[in-house]
Order: sequence, then C-alpha cells, then structure tokens
Amino acid sequence: METMQPFGEGFATALAPEIVLVIGMFTLMIVPNMGDAKFRIPLTQIRIPWFFGGKRGTLDSDPRLPGVFASMFFVIAFLLAALSYVNGMNVTMIETESGYDLLLVNEFSRIFELIFYGALALASIASINRIPATSRKDRSALGLYNNRRQVDFYILLMTTGLGMSIVALSQDLFLLFIGLELASFSTYVLVSFMKETKEGTEAGMKYFIVGSVASGVGLYGLSLLYLWSGSLQFTELTLAFAENGMEPLPLIALGMLLVGFGFKVSAAPFHFAAPDAYAGATSPVAGVLATASKAMGVIGLLRILLVVASPEATDGAAVWLIALAVLSVVTMTWGNLAALGSTNPKRMLAYSSVAHAGYMLAAITAIGALNWEPEHINASNDAALAVVTALIFHLVVLVCFKLGAFLVLSILENEKGGHTLASLGGLAKREPLLAATMFIFMMSLAGVPPLSGFVSKLLVIMGIVKVALVDVTVNGNLTFSDIHWVWYLALLMVINSAISVFYYLRVGLVMFFHEPEAGREGPLPAGRSVRFAILACLLTTLYFGVGAGQLISLCESAANALVGAW
Amino acid sequence: MASSTGSSVIIDSTAAQYAPLIILLPMLAFPVILLFGKLYNGEKFWKQTLKEGGLIALPVMGASLLLALWLISDFIGAYGGVQKLSDWTWFTSSIWESGVATKEVSFGFGIHVDHITVLLLFVASFLCLLINTFAVGYMNTDPINDNRNHRFYAEFVLFCSGMLGMVLADSFLWLFIFWELMGLCSYLLIGFYYERPSAAYAAKKAFLTTRVGDVFLMVGLAMMWYLFGSLDYDVVFDKYEIKSVAESNAAMLAWSLGLMFIGAVGKSAQFPLHVWLPDAMEGPTPVSALIHAATMVNAGLYLVARMFPFFGAEALHGELADLAFIIAAIGGTTAVMAAAIAFVQNDLKKVLAYSTMSQLAYIFTGLGAALYLANTLHWHEYLADGTTKNPDYYVNHAIVIVAFGAALFHLFNHAMAKGMLFMASGAVIHEVHHAHHHLHHHDHDDGHHDTPKELVMLADYLEANGQTAFEFFASIDLDGSGEIDTYEFQTALKKADVVDLPPWEMAPLMKALDLDGNGSINVPELDLTLGRIRNEIEEGHHDEFDAQSMDNMGGLASKMPLTATAMLVGSLSIMGFPLIGGFWSKEGIIANTWRVALEDPRFMYPALCVLLGAGMTGFYMSRMWLKTFAGSPKGEVAAHVGPTNTWIKTPLFILTFFSLAGILFASMGFTHWAPDIEYGLMSDHGGLWGGFLYEMEHVFANEKAFFFILTYVALFIGAVVGPGLALSLYGGALDEGEEAKPWFTPVLALNAAVKGRYHWDNSPFAQSGFATALSNRLYIDHYYDMAMLKIVAAFSFKSAEADSKVIDGTIKTIERTSQQLSTKLRALTTGSARDYILMAAVGTLTLFALIWGVMA
Repeated sequence: METMQPFGEGFATALAPEIVLVIGMFTLMIVPNMGDAKFRIPLTQIRIPWFFGGKRGTLDSDPRLPGVFASMFFVIAFLLAALSYVNGMNVTMIETESGYDLLLVNEFSRIFELIFYGALALASIASINRIPATSRKDRSALGLYNNRRQVDFYILLMTTGLGMSIVALSQDLFLLFIGLELASFSTYVLVSFMKETKEGTEAGMKYFIVGSVASGVGLYGLSLLYLWSGSLQFTELTLAFAENGMEPLPLIALGMLLVGFGFKVSAAPFHFAAPDAYAGATSPVAGVLATASKAMGVIGLLRILLVVASPEATDGAAVWLIALAVLSVVTMTWGNLAALGSTNPKRMLAYSSVAHAGYMLAAITAIGALNWEPEHINASNDAALAVVTALIFHLVVLVCFKLGAFLVLSILENEKGGHTLASLGGLAKREPLLAATMFIFMMSLAGVPPLSGFVSKLLVIMGIVKVALVDVTVNGNLTFSDIHWVWYLALLMVINSAISVFYYLRVGLVMFFHEPEAGREGPLPAGRSVRFAILACLLTTLYFGVGAGQLISLCESAANALVGAW
Repeated sequence: MASSTGSSVIIDSTAAQYAPLIILLPMLAFPVILLFGKLYNGEKFWKQTLKEGGLIALPVMGASLLLALWLISDFIGAYGGVQKLSDWTWFTSSIWESGVATKEVSFGFGIHVDHITVLLLFVASFLCLLINTFAVGYMNTDPINDNRNHRFYAEFVLFCSGMLGMVLADSFLWLFIFWELMGLCSYLLIGFYYERPSAAYAAKKAFLTTRVGDVFLMVGLAMMWYLFGSLDYDVVFDKYEIKSVAESNAAMLAWSLGLMFIGAVGKSAQFPLHVWLPDAMEGPTPVSALIHAATMVNAGLYLVARMFPFFGAEALHGELADLAFIIAAIGGTTAVMAAAIAFVQNDLKKVLAYSTMSQLAYIFTGLGAALYLANTLHWHEYLADGTTKNPDYYVNHAIVIVAFGAALFHLFNHAMAKGMLFMASGAVIHEVHHAHHHLHHHDHDDGHHDTPKELVMLADYLEANGQTAFEFFASIDLDGSGEIDTYEFQTALKKADVVDLPPWEMAPLMKALDLDGNGSINVPELDLTLGRIRNEIEEGHHDEFDAQSMDNMGGLASKMPLTATAMLVGSLSIMGFPLIGGFWSKEGIIANTWRVALEDPRFMYPALCVLLGAGMTGFYMSRMWLKTFAGSPKGEVAAHVGPTNTWIKTPLFILTFFSLAGILFASMGFTHWAPDIEYGLMSDHGGLWGGFLYEMEHVFANEKAFFFILTYVALFIGAVVGPGLALSLYGGALDEGEEAKPWFTPVLALNAAVKGRYHWDNSPFAQSGFATALSNRLYIDHYYDMAMLKIVAAFSFKSAEADSKVIDGTIKTIERTSQQLSTKLRALTTGSARDYILMAAVGTLTLFALIWGVMA
C-alpha cells in the first residue's frame, strides 16, 4: 500500500476522478458565461478583451451545453475510475503528516465510484434534453431553461458525486459524514429543483426537514463516539470497540448512527420522505436517489456495523443483530406492501426501493450472525465475503434497472405523464420497444432469470443461507436446529419477492393490455439522449444477468478489500 | 449445466468456441423477425425484398450451417472422435449434498460434440436451411399467408434454434430445456392457421400428447439427478460413475432410462403416443417437413441414442436388456401399424405422416437391437475387471458399432428423403391448389365457408332420408323441452351416424345454428339454417375441393418433372430400393434385429415386424407415387397443374442428390457412425473405393448363409412384392400426348404392363371392416377421446372447481389482505413532515430498545 499526503506526489493520480469533477464544476461556471466582454484599463482608452460576461455566442448560450459538458465530465471520471483496474489496483492511503488516515483508494472505493459516476452520468445524459421551461415563456428554440439555470442543476449533480465519492473513500467517520452531508444537501436542492411545481418544492422541503433530523441524530451519535474514544478513525474505533464495546455510550452512538444511515438507505420507518421526494423530483434525480444515494448509505452501514462495531469484536452474535434483523424485516415487508397499492409509478418504485433496502439490510444482518470462534473463522470469512459480494453486486446492477425504469418514466414526464399508472397505458402500442424495455426492467426488479436482478437476488439469498449454514458446514452434521435463524430472513426475502411480482407485473399489464389515455396516442416525445441512456441501462441489465461472472469477480475483489480491513 | 470434472477429453478448439453461435444466431433472429414483422407489416420492401422475414432467416440458417460444418470438419479432423467442450459458466452455487456438506455446482452451458451430435447437427442445420429456402417459395406465394409470414419465420428460427441447441447441449438438463422449446414452437407452428378449428385442435393435440411423454422424461431426469448428482454428460457417462451407480442402484437407473424413453416415444410419435402426428399435418407444409423429417421427431431418437453409454457400460452388463427389448418391440409394433394405416390414406401428406411414423419405428427397432447387443456382448477392449484382455473384442466391438451405426444412418437417410418428400408433396399441393384457383376464379371469403361441414353432412342426411327439420328435431329433443342443447345435439348426430364429434368440437356447430345466441337450438333456428345450407348446395356454391387428396391428382409426372423425380427418388429411398439411400441402413436394421433374434427369441417379434414392414413400405410408397404422378389426371384440376418455382425446386434438387448418394455415404463408413473413439470416418477399409467394395460385399455376398438369405428375402419383400402389388392396382400410362422425362419411362412402362396384366379387384378388401378400421386409425384416437371424456374430463371438472375455490380462493384472500394492509400502511404516509419525524422517533426508540435488550 502506498501512502501519501494531501496534494503530495501522486495525489492527482490517485484521486483523478474527483479532481476531474472539481475541474468540471469550474468549467461549468465559466464556459456559459463567456462573452465578448472587454476590460478597460483605468484611466486609458485601452480595452483588453477578457471574455467573461458581455454578449454571449450561440454556442455557449445553448441550453444543452451544460448537460453535455457535465455528462462528458462524469463519463471521464467514470473512465478514469475504471482505468485504475486495468493495470492492477494501486492501493493508496492518503493521510495527514501525523499519520492520521483520511482517504483510502482501493477496490472497494473504486467500485463505488463506478456506481456513483455511472448513475450520475446516466442521469445527466438523460437530463440534457429534458429540463423544460414550465412557467416562463422561454425564447430559446428548444424550450429549455436558459443555460445558467441548467448549470445549477449539473453543478449540483457534480457536488453530489463528489460527496458520494468522499463517503466511499473516507477512512474517518467525520470525513465520511462530511461527504454524506455534501451529497445530501445537493440532493435536497435537486429534489426541489422544479421550483415552479408545487410537488417539487414541497417534496424537497420535506426531504430536507426529515433528512436534517436524521443527520442531526447521526451527528449526535458521532459526537458521542468521539467523546467515548477520542478518535473517529475507523482503525482506532475498531480497537476501542474490541476492548469495551459493550458500554452504554458507544451503543447509544451506534443506535443513533443507524438512524442517520437508515434514512439514507430509506429503511422503514425512516423512509417516509422518500416516496414524496421521488414523486416530486424529476425522474433522473429520483433514479439517482434510488441507486447512488442508497449505495452511499450502504457504505455508511457497512463501515459502522462491519468495520467499527464489527461482529468479531463481540463474542458470538453482534449487538446490533436483532435490531437490524427487525429493521430489515419491517423494511422489506413495508416496502412491498405499500408498493402493492400505489398507483403512481414513481411512488411504486420508491416503495420497491424501500423493499430492496430491506433485502440489503437482511444481508448485512446475516454477517452479524457469523460465528468468529477460531475453528469457524475460515468458513465465516468465506460466508461474509459472499454476502458483501452479493451486496455490492446488487448495488451495481440496481443502477442498471432501477435507474433505467426511472428514465423510462422520465420520457413520459415530458408529456406531463409518469405520475399515474394510467399514463403508461398502451405504451406497447405507442412505443413497443420502450414498453418491452420497461418490462425487462420490471422483470429484473422482480428477479426473473436470466436478468441481472435475478442474479443479484440469488446471490444475496445464497449468501444468507451460506451464513446460516456455517455451523453445519464446520461440524458436518445437520439438524434443523443447527441452522442459524437468519435463514428465515432469506425465506422472508423469497416471500417478499413473490409479493413484489404482483406490482411489477401490473406495470406490464397496463403497458401491454390497457388502452392509451385520451390525448396520449401516438409516439412519445423524442429525446435522443434519454433513449441512449435507457439503452445503456438495458444492455447492462441483460449483460450482467447473462455474463455475471466478470462483475461478480470485480465485486469479490471489492468485498475482499473491505473484509480484509476487519 | 457444466462442471469441470469428468473424464472426457476437453479440446476447446476455435470451432467449438464459436459453436454456441449455431444456437444463438437463430435464437436472436427470432425477436428480430417478429419485431420487424410487426413494424413493417405490409410494406413493400419487407414483403417483396425480405419476403416477410424469410430472407432474414435464410442467411441466419446459412450461417448456422456453415458454423456447424466447421465444427463437424474440425471434429472429423481430430480423427478418432474426441469430445470437445466449450464451457460458459453463468454462476456457481453451493447445493446440498446428502445432508452433510455443500458442494459447488456451476450453472452454465457447454457444447458436447461426439459422433451422434455431429450426425444430428448436420441433418438439422442442413435441412433447416433447405426447408427455409422451400418456405420462401411456398409460404410467400400463397395469399392466405399474406402479412403474417413473419410469424411463421420467427417461430421457424426459434424452432431450429431449439433443435440445434438440443443436439449441441452438454447435459440432459439443457437437452430437456431445448426439447421443450421445440415443443412450444411445434405447437405454435402446427397451429399457424389458428383460425381453423382443426388446426387449433391439432396443435393442442400435439402439444398435450408430447407433454404426456415429457412428464415421464422429467421424472426420469429427476431420478438420474438423484443417482448421479448431476445431469452433465461428462458426469453421467463417466464409466466410474456408472459403475458406482450400477453397484448401488442399477434397477433405479433402468427405470430412469425407461421413463426417459417414454419421453422419446411421445416426441417421436411412437405407439401409443403417436396420435398427434397425422393431425399435425394441419400446419403449413414446410412445418410438416420440419417437424416430421428434419428435427422434432428425431429428437426422441437422439435421446435414445444418447443413452448408448449406459447400455454399453461394462458395469451394467445385461441389466438393461429388457429395456432394449421394449424399445425394439415398440418400434416393431409402430412400424407395422403405421404402415397399415398408410395403406388407406388418400391425403398425400397423411401417407407421408404415417410413413414417417413407420420409418422412425424402424430406427427405434434398430436402436433397440443395437442397444441390446451393446448391453449383452462383451465388446470393450478389457473385461469388467479392467485388466484382462477381452478375447472377443474385435468381433463384438464391430457388431455393436455396425448395429448402432445402421440405426443412425437410417435416421440420416430418412431425414433427407422424408424432408424431400414433404417438400415435394408441398410443391404438388401448392400447384394443385393454384390450378384449382386458376380454374375456379372464386373468392375464398364469400361466406359459405362459415358453414361447418358437419352441418352440410346433416343436411345431406336429412335429404337422403326424407326427414324434415321438424321431424328430426322431435326425434332428438330427448327431454321434450323444445330446445336442444349441446349434449342432445351431439348424441343425435352420433345416433344418425352423421358424425361423431367430441363435445369440445361441437361449439362451432352450435354457434352456426344458435341464431339468437341463447345457448340452445329451437325448431325455427334449425329449419332456417338447414334450409340455407340446402340452398347453397343446390346452387353449387358449396364445393369442397381438397388439394391434398390424391383423388384429385394423377398423371402429374409430365407436368412437374423435377418434383416427380424427387418424389420418386425419395420413395425409392424410403422403400429401400437397392443402392439408394435408405437401402443400406434398412438392410442393416433388418439384419441386426434378426441377429439379436437368433440370440434372444423375444426379438423374433420386432424382427418379423420389420421384415413385414419392409413389404408394406414398398406398397404404400409406390401407391402414393403412382396415384399422384402416373395414370391419367383425375379431374380437370389435375390436368392444369403447372411446374413450380425455383425456391421450391432448389432444395428438392439438392436433396435428390443426397438420397441418390446413399452409396457414397455408405462407402464412407456411415454405418460405423457410433460414439466410439476407435472408429473414425473411413478409418477401416482404405478410402472410398475400398469402402464401396466392402459394403457391396458385405451386403450382397455375406459369407454367413443366414445373412445372405436374409438380405435377399428382405429385398424381395420390400422391392418386389410390395411395389408389385401397388403397380398392379394403381397408376397406369400417362394420357396420350403427355411427354414425360425419359427416366420415368421404365417406371411408367412397368406400371402399365403390370396393371394391364395383373390388375385385380381389391374392392372386397377396401370395403372390409379392417380397411374401415384402418381409415379410422384403428379407433385408437376414438378410445383416447372416450377415456378423456370418462376419466379425465370428470377429474378435470373437479379439479377446476378445486382450483377456483381452494387455490384461487387462497390467493385472492392473500391478495385482498395485502391490498388492505397496503392501504393501511400507505395511510401512515400522511404527507406531513411532522408525522414522518414522529415515526422516525418511534423507530429510533425501538432500535435502542432492541440493542439494549441484547446487551442486557
């Protein structure tokens, strides 16, 4: 492992994707403001052109420009992150002069960077043609907001990305929280970006209030932890927990942090603002919330539960085991049941994303149930690896099909639809390809083979079962009572998946068998960039289902990097 | 599934790496054609340039064939037949293994290539391409198919993909998956003209009948999984695995194979699951060719051939002999039964359908004999202990290999010849149909086709008996209610001997009669409808021209020379006429069955059956050709038939060559076509010429007296007695002024001479009860229907009730409860941020309580 200090030698290489984003933000601020402005040297008549301000050209006042630029920077950041895999991962620790760990670049953080940038790139590509002027009489030919307002949107997307990657990189709980807040605040604004609509503003406001409360509780937990151990370094905290983690203070802190991250992954009952937010935000933003933002919360949970309050630290089962198990069961059941009755597809997807959060929590719960006695340690390590791999795989493929589903809705939004299931009616007649694509996304969400959603669900279930069977594997004799009860979580997952098929299929039913609503006949509004993004989602959904092997091994290396740090 | 363990040699050649494309290309063409067909339906470019998808399918099937040929040449080049696998792993999973530990199993797909694969692969990919070519000429020139051919081509390529996948797959599980894919496609294709009730019925019949076999197949596969813990070929065919299973549970393995054989019986239309095949002729002719010759029926044979390693295993010596006998006996029974029914068929395609059944039965008999030999002879290089040299190795080995090869070679010959015969019959029907259209410029959609033919028959019956509609009505209204329902009407039709229909076919009749739509018929309705029908008959509107009936043909040899030639060659090949295609393999099958009969007296039954069947084949094939092509045209339509188009002619021409070239393949050592690494192509007897001499000597001058006599007896029965009878009864010289190609002259002259001299009156025969029974398919379908009605229908009503009340009830309850819960839960989302925070606070406290509880 290489170590370096901030802005030291090699810093730019290690954090190249993040630096690209920062450059991107400045570019976005400058380029749309370029004009023919001249600067007069005081007391003279000499005017020096300095290009900032003044009358703008046609190119840099094009409302599509910020979107194109932002997409470009996201794609570059994505490629740079992917590039680091090519010649073997260069694991780099960035620390202060006094040896205080700050950021760690390894397989784990890289794969999350890929998730974040991938999701944001797709969202920004999909938004290029679709932030319309609703209340203003826009004079530009394309009917878009003028590009200064567009810039705000994309800069916020970039700060979101930056905050998220800090969460993935951080080796310090405080730094992690800062990243989390950076990303969160940007999303609050993004949700209410459509300030002309009532829903957008209201949703953003609610999301902000509930989110702040959750953050506040989390931050309070953080301060309690600091009070207790005197450090927020993961390494230090882990040691402290191993020594005397059963004291009240750290446990209270743990509970509070769970609330903070629970809101981010939208676990019940902290999820209430999520359906409102998803419904109020534009669909690409909702897609980012459901995928990248959720992945960020999962990182927090993984760090706090598996690294800090690691199950090894305590004898046998982890302290948080029961709490998290209950949380996961409530979350998945609540999500699925609530989704059953939703007639707004965006809310339905929001609840489905709550249910998915439940599945992920179940996976994390399983790790807490592992037995870390010396003779079990090998089997336990294997099982833990399998579960974390499944979790990461799930987060990656979620970007493909959940974001894809939101993007399909986003096309509908262009004709003021997408808020009712009925607006999807007859989509198969209007745009057969799009309907088929949406159906594939739904099937993948439901976990139908051979789509990637099936593989991810299968991996999670197999991981949980593997954990439940560790004792059996080690001792070699099977009685039913030897199987750990986390097995029931897997069973519940299966039952819940069965319930979920109902509402996923209903989308197909409406698209293929219902007639279009009045006034919605004929093809949907064009939007080449959205369709391109949807195509990318579709291809990856299919590819990661059929050719899951490569991605699994990638996730495995990421899981290894995390589990190795225990 | 594929796992990396196993004993077979794995060579991952370039060709094998590309082999999955053989399956994938047609599979991908399926959605493409379907989609484009939907999008561009009716547009000129799509219709004329792309032939509604036919010319998308064509290059795809061509590419599949090229890749297949590459794989085959690569395999043959490896000389000595090594199994190659190219594995693709989807994911790896842990499974339970006998309750103790978990074991890793990879899920994925692999390619398995051996001699059987290669043969079937060539047959399937080659014929699929030719049938595709034929279909372009056949389907796209018939207005009835306009704007829906894309459905045909899409289903066609999916079907091909299923067959190719089944052949190439490396495990019984994948075999089963592709097997079912084919089953689905055959259902769709047979029911292509789904607006005809008969086609819809035939499709359902084919699907359900084969499904009966498939259930057994599935149980057999489950048993095999239980025994071996895997269905991969390289695991289950591993001789050590077989040995350990044979020691612990040989009987169960025999049962498993037996159940799998039932699946093959269904798929290959053998007695007693043969009933679907003749009805399946409702599909368009290319479909008949595809299903009956090239692919689907061969799937069952392929499955049985795949079982060879079990029968050949030293560890199971003698254990499976009974099963081999059952296979041969079923084959023998079907061979004779189908041939007998073919005697009385007048529908050109139906003759071919029964001929297919009969010939497949031959192959089953041959396989049964070969498997019997493999199971009872010590034919491995070492004896069971693995160290002692087997003294009879060379002799026994050759016997087994040749027997197995003969059966597979017959599969090859039959597929080529029957594919051609179906296509040629399609050409004939197509042209007769066109001629009919040409002569009677009438429009098919002028309404009278709505009248079910049964009602016409009823009207005829009443006319003949002088009954009025009212009298008839009074006689059938059993309960005197003034209304007759379906049941009464059905009984009445049966009693009056008009027609005996199963209740589910009564619906169209009832619909035609039930003018007010109240579900029953009264006197005015019956009177009105029958009156209308009678008027139609009198006006001569109602003409039922059957383009498939041989009674409307005759003398076509001069009008469709290429088709007649193809049909002649195909018929001769099926008959086993010396030196042409099927001769080599048929003689082989007969000889091998008799060889076994010498050992085991039980085999006398299949042996006699195939010998008798040879003569019957000669008769019905000759009858078919003579009735169609020789003699004078029956009716004015047949006199106006013209030649067919190039798309249709091309495959006929190519296949004629393949059937004629039987001697070539025989010389190449095709009878040595068995899954054994010792025997490659032409490895034995010094090149083509050497092989030719060897085969000729072996067949015509066998040094063993028994086989020497047997050959000539079989030849006499099959090529002299059977055809001779047909020559004396049917056909005759062409009309004056009709010019036939010179190669027809000897046939037609012989026909004229024999018929002139030996013609006899076969009407006592044709009017006997036996002939009636034959034309009613020996009443087997009838009894199946009765059994369905009595047992299955009653059971089905009960279970439908249980389904709607118990199962649906439960699900509905769950659904309703969930929806109610959902409403309640969503009501919690009030929309007020205050409530959200309150809920979060409750959640936080719960979390604390739970953590506290654990800690305390």
